[in-house]
Amino acid sequence: MATAKKGPTKKTGSAKKGGSEATPDSQPKQSASVPDDAAAKVEIAGFSDKIRLGNEGGALFAKAAGLAVIALGASAALGATQGDGFRRWSHGYLVGYAVALAITAGSLFWVILQNLVNARWSVAVRRMGELFAANMPLLGVLSLPLVLPVMMGSPLIYEWADKAKVASDHLLHHKSGYLNANFFLIRMLFYFGFWTVLARFYLGSSRRQDETGGPEIVPSMNRISGPAMIVFALTLTFCAVDLIMSVDARWFSTMFGVYFFASCVLCVHATLILALMWVQKKGRLAKSITAEHYHDLGKMMFAFVIFWAYVGFSQFMLIWYANIPEETAWFKLRFAGGWGNVAWTLVFGHFVIPFFGLLSRHIKRSRTALAFWCFYILAMVYIDMYWLVLPSIDADAPNVQAMDILAALGLLSALVAGAAREAGKKNLIPTKDPRLSQSLAFENI
Amino acid sequence: MSDAHEPKTETGPAPLHGILAEYATPGEILAASRKIRDAGFSRWDTYTPFPVHGIDKAMGIRMTVLPWIVLGAGLTGLATAILLQWWTNAWDYPWLISGKPFWSIPANVPIMFELTVLFAGITTLVAMLVLNNLPFPSHPLDHVRRFARSTDDRFFLFVEAADPKFDEDDTKTLLEGTHPHAIENVLEDRKTPDALPVGIIYGLVIMTVASAVPFALAAKARFTTSRSPRIHIIQDMDSQPKYKAQRENPVFPDGRATRVPDPETVAVGELHEDDHFYRGKDNGAWARTFPPGFRADELTMERGQQRFGIYCTPCHGFGGEGNGMVSKRAEELAQGTWTPPTNLTEARIRNMPVGELFNTISNGIRNMPAYGAQIPTSDRWAIILYLRALERGRAATLADLEPAERTGL
Amino acid sequence: MAAATDLNPFVPAPAGDNAFARITDNVSRIAEAERPPRAWYIAFAVALTMLTCFLGAIGWLVWTGIGVWGNQIPVAWAFDIVNFVFWIGIGHAGTLISAILFLLRQSWRTAINRFAEAMTIFAVICAGIFPGIHIGRPWLPYYMMPIPNQMDMWPQFRSPLEWDIFAVSTYATISIVFWYMGMIPDFATFRDRATTFWRRLSYGIVAMGWRGSSRQWHRYERAYLLLAALATPLVLSVHSVVSFDFATAQLPGWHTTIFPPYFVAGAIFGGFAMVVLLAVPARQFFGLKRIIQIKHLELMNKVLIATGLLVGYAYGMEFFVAWYSGNSYEGFTFINRAFGQYYWAYWTMITCNVLAPQLHWFKKIRTSPLATLLIGMVINVGMWFERFVIIATSLARDFLPSSWNYYIPTTIDYLTLGGSFGLFFTLFLLFCRYLPMVAMAEVKSIHPSAHAHAEHH
Repeated sequence: MATAKKGPTKKTGSAKKGGSEATPDSQPKQSASVPDDAAAKVEIAGFSDKIRLGNEGGALFAKAAGLAVIALGASAALGATQGDGFRRWSHGYLVGYAVALAITAGSLFWVILQNLVNARWSVAVRRMGELFAANMPLLGVLSLPLVLPVMMGSPLIYEWADKAKVASDHLLHHKSGYLNANFFLIRMLFYFGFWTVLARFYLGSSRRQDETGGPEIVPSMNRISGPAMIVFALTLTFCAVDLIMSVDARWFSTMFGVYFFASCVLCVHATLILALMWVQKKGRLAKSITAEHYHDLGKMMFAFVIFWAYVGFSQFMLIWYANIPEETAWFKLRFAGGWGNVAWTLVFGHFVIPFFGLLSRHIKRSRTALAFWCFYILAMVYIDMYWLVLPSIDADAPNVQAMDILAALGLLSALVAGAAREAGKKNLIPTKDPRLSQSLAFENI
Repeated sequence: MSDAHEPKTETGPAPLHGILAEYATPGEILAASRKIRDAGFSRWDTYTPFPVHGIDKAMGIRMTVLPWIVLGAGLTGLATAILLQWWTNAWDYPWLISGKPFWSIPANVPIMFELTVLFAGITTLVAMLVLNNLPFPSHPLDHVRRFARSTDDRFFLFVEAADPKFDEDDTKTLLEGTHPHAIENVLEDRKTPDALPVGIIYGLVIMTVASAVPFALAAKARFTTSRSPRIHIIQDMDSQPKYKAQRENPVFPDGRATRVPDPETVAVGELHEDDHFYRGKDNGAWARTFPPGFRADELTMERGQQRFGIYCTPCHGFGGEGNGMVSKRAEELAQGTWTPPTNLTEARIRNMPVGELFNTISNGIRNMPAYGAQIPTSDRWAIILYLRALERGRAATLADLEPAERTGL
Repeated sequence: MAAATDLNPFVPAPAGDNAFARITDNVSRIAEAERPPRAWYIAFAVALTMLTCFLGAIGWLVWTGIGVWGNQIPVAWAFDIVNFVFWIGIGHAGTLISAILFLLRQSWRTAINRFAEAMTIFAVICAGIFPGIHIGRPWLPYYMMPIPNQMDMWPQFRSPLEWDIFAVSTYATISIVFWYMGMIPDFATFRDRATTFWRRLSYGIVAMGWRGSSRQWHRYERAYLLLAALATPLVLSVHSVVSFDFATAQLPGWHTTIFPPYFVAGAIFGGFAMVVLLAVPARQFFGLKRIIQIKHLELMNKVLIATGLLVGYAYGMEFFVAWYSGNSYEGFTFINRAFGQYYWAYWTMITCNVLAPQLHWFKKIRTSPLATLLIGMVINVGMWFERFVIIATSLARDFLPSSWNYYIPTTIDYLTLGGSFGLFFTLFLLFCRYLPMVAMAEVKSIHPSAHAHAEHH
């Protein structure tokens, strides 16, 4: 769903003074002193740029946090009026949460990846990714409405949380070694714990680099990326299985982790593009982020539109082809009644249209056009997640409620607020990364 | 400075084709290109061993139309794939395979994708060659010795004399201003013939004609008939020296390989003498009793019940009333051609001789097919035994119950 | 020819002494040498022998019938399809190096992309032979094409085997197109350096008259980018379609939705192992150490770790879902793979695919050409066994216990497998001898001297 990118000014505590003095040729220089509320200027590779949000960050935080609280509150209130003990509400919440998770986990993945391959083009963009990845602890807290019912043994979303049901149902009983409340909690703690530690490590190392510029930082970030990526792949897969696939505990697909991963990558690119555009609109990073960076981010987004379609089609077609009822039941539900229209919307809306939309190089280099497609992609990811989760409870046709939209809006605003808070006082660009000048100067094919 | 030799032709020295300048680094050729571009020349080009980064802009080369051609080709491939699969499998010769729809879009997607890529890819190469005017067998520059390094390590700039802004001295001065490694005049090529060598033309014609031969043969085979058997190299066990049914065998007077058995020949086990057992007939009339030797015990009753359940209940129902699933479905479809199955518990059937019932099972009646091929003879009698019990059960009255059982109702 | 006396083409212009000339010389002299290095002759003799065995085995098969193989119900697909999938997989690395690494702007690919692409073509040729010979009547393959035939019947487009035909033939075509297009500038270089009439004519014909015009380079570069952009999804689709051969079935162990990306990752994994396996002797015996450097080997070994882990992830997911699904047949299949009659194949696969590449975490190992070569071989063995485990073990223990059996390959099976390597290496060695082994124009373009230090334009 679209995220609001506006904010009134807000003071965010003591400002940071300008950092170190002039550094060798390829390193950016910082201005000597920084007034309280203004954003710092930095001289990078021959030009100077504002690289801190300053007051804008505070303003954004206030607005986004306010919106988050209001939206989530309103959503919960509407959920209460359903009179089903928040059952319908929690499904809508799960959809919004899935998109928020996709953005945040996607950001973390992207940061690990850039470090793994020692990418040079993305260095100017990387800090933004680190900021969004830093939302992990927040996301852990926001998972409570999903986790608490499980711990209380209530089958609000997950029927396997109900111990009596599990005891009486053969299939659920078989899976109860994995799908049980305690193990679920341990896993969730592990996922968010690991992700938080990793996000903090990257953001922390990157920020330390801003101050010290030490040559050991980049190698240390690179070295940990290999093992980090392995554990990340597993944690993301099982988190997707736990939160989304197990909504229908009878169904299974080995591809599910990859399918969710595709959405994660789409979300992170869309988010990065929109975040950078907003920041540039506010006069920051005006020269550091160029059409080349947007072009590259747009290219990856285009590639993953195709990848998502490939994964989604493979999953669907294989199950369709073999026609085994225990697998097709899940799809049958998602093609029945009004849900069939949603499925076709995804085929055309999530693949065909953005494929042609993002094909042209000119569109990827044009801010307005690219921004439109980013919002569009985020909307499509939301519809995809909706289609994954809601048919389990609204079997006949989609019944989109205001509480669903409000929940998504609230969650995404929370993410923006989190990122703004993290960003507020510090650099938006890793000023002392040795590869920064290459990133600023790079040109696309 | 010029080391091009003048070919000795009747018409005198060859005219100037253009001026060639040689450079040693990419930087130099970029600078030179900008100069020539800015001077407004249009018929000129640079020759480099690899694509020099930035030379498109330096020369003012516009973006090629190639991507659009490829896009068009890709979409053509996509349309071809859809049409091909729909027409062959859903229109021209539709046939069911594992219950999938004739036009199975999910199953058609892989080939849709492949043909898109195939058409687009081949078009990329062909369009690139066509747009680049390749193959280009001969060019006056081929006669310049130093030019051979254009594919090795040197960078060349060539301005054609045909360019409207060309002037032999001014252009040369302009080029000298770019500090080339060498400059030379290039003359028109008078020696190399313009037309393709006759041998190549003959060769192409022969190849084209030869390549049409297989198609011609295929067409001939398709539209003519032949008495000779097809060419069959790997024989395996395809032609076996034995006589098959419907073939000729000259040994016998009637010429047939199939021999008819003598009259009165009966296969083993096929001498069904017992009319009562095999045909339900007792002295020409329908038998009213079960065949002699038929044991009406619990085992047979159970067998009969089981077989009834298998063969009879789809139409006649478990109660024998004619309300089986097939009948219900037919009534649902309401197409007006359905005769409901007989209610086996009605009086007419209860009073029918067992032999006639046997005949109906064996040979069918009205819409009911003959079950004689599916149900062995003794099983048919068992079914009839069970049927009688079923009828009796359906026609039971209070009087048939024990006093103790009556109270339970 | 009249023009020849004018120019005297048999004495080419003197060469220079800069980086570009050195690259040209380094690569061209391999094809221009009077005789190839001795190692080439030895390798060629071995390869030719194996090729002869291959042709003999195929001839015997076609003459006598499929019975000469060990295939038998329930294991109706065995070495034939294992070899097919193995070879197609190997081909994928070439396209990945050419196309995907190009799109990702990895300039180090230029050292190896030419012979990797060649490897793709030859691997696809080897692969394509197997479906051709494994049908009972290999003289009737035109049934699979949508050509009007005497039965008025059309191919069954709803079958993954039919998709395979289109996918593999598209892949072969596009790979050849890409490979050829990439060689045009290098053929021009060969042509311009040619010292004999026949060399000049042959290379001249295939070079199409390329002279390096920048206007032509512009369209050429665009075409290259377009082909790379087309080849990338193509390579993903081809092995996905191959995986559909299995995943569309209902057989436990075959029917898992992750098969497409799993197979693609495995293909890239096995293919890179083969590239690395060829790169080490090639640089050694053809004197290409300055072009194919240790750092390139190191990067390829890192790709091996990554793709090996992707394959391991897929193994893990299959195993987890086999349990999670509650489907007892699926669960049995995976237990049987590890502990049943073919346990030795399974553990070979795990050791070679999951464990062996982990050695490359150690810098000393991944920068050693010998270790690279050995681990590359081990991975190829492992990937062959992976396909064997998937195909043979799942079929040997299918749904109906009464049809369970133990597949034993015959001598012809082994000769066919070994012989296919003969075909591959024969073609590859001929390529090394006569065609430009390294993409000279591309290597030059990424050399530091290629970048103008000029001002902004």
